[in-house]
Amino acid sequence: MAKSTRPMVRIHNTQTDEVIDREMNDDELAAYEADVVAATKRQAEEKLKSEEKQAIAARLGLTADELKLLLG
Amino acid sequence: MATTTNYGWTTPDDTALVKDGAAAIRTLGSSVDTTTKNLNPETTLGDIAYRSSTANVKTRLGIGSTGQVLTVASGVPSWATLSAGGKTLLSTTTLSGTSTSITSIDQGYKDLFLIGNIITASATGISLRFNSNSTVGDYSSYRNYLEAGGSFSYADVNGGDIGQSDSNTAWNTQNYTNLTIFRYAETESKQTFSFVRSVVGGFVRGMYEHGAFNSTTAITSIQIGAGATLSGTVYLYGVK
Repeated sequence: MAKSTRPMVRIHNTQTDEVIDREMNDDELAAYEADVVAATKRQAEEKLKSEEKQAIAARLGLTADELKLLLG
Repeated sequence: MATTTNYGWTTPDDTALVKDGAAAIRTLGSSVDTTTKNLNPETTLGDIAYRSSTANVKTRLGIGSTGQVLTVASGVPSWATLSAGGKTLLSTTTLSGTSTSITSIDQGYKDLFLIGNIITASATGISLRFNSNSTVGDYSSYRNYLEAGGSFSYADVNGGDIGQSDSNTAWNTQNYTNLTIFRYAETESKQTFSFVRSVVGGFVRGMYEHGAFNSTTAITSIQIGAGATLSGTVYLYGVK
């Protein structure tokens, strides 16, 4: 049998103190994959925003420190 | 008549007559019985005993109620109910996997307070969710970020979690975190939360987020997730 590559999750029942480690079920895997997609999108947006700021600063002749001071 | 050193039990003298032996043994036994009972007044499972103002006589303190704590009043021990603001440690959880859920949370408190260090090498940030709810729009919050260089940013978020924000792996390594959930067990109003995170990992960043969980369901579990394996420890407290 092929070894599963699904991420593991831990569940800690605070009433019984029982700890279960198991692979993600279908719903958890779907949520996890959606998180990764959203984070990747957010990362790209942040990078684009940063590049746009730098481009504006360059057009205005501002250094990175001056821009930070202006926006801080 | 001779007596014992510690408890003064009466024993026969060396010159006492054998014919009086039965009475002497009965007297001694009765004294031992009385003293033993005086030293062990407990009657019920969980009872404890403490020294009374009379030598060799202890006072019984019956077992308290669930959640009560031992305190001192008028110079003697007694059980007392925690006053408002007292914290009770509900669980200590070692994080593992890409998510760890703290489940079956005691519903007998007003607020929850979670504190700990969430360690991960995630490039997708960390996220906290209630009742495994990841519905986008169910967490309405306002996030502030303050970076070591002094820059400040903020965001209004209608997301599917709390805290997920940083796309830089280094920013997610060490997350010194505390999360307060107000009125978590109520079902008539939406729960509000306050989340503070101090990140250290080649970079220092502070984050504060406050908002509301758009649900009228009592919060019975907290899920901590990341895009990579978690480690570290979190402590969950109930606040009266």
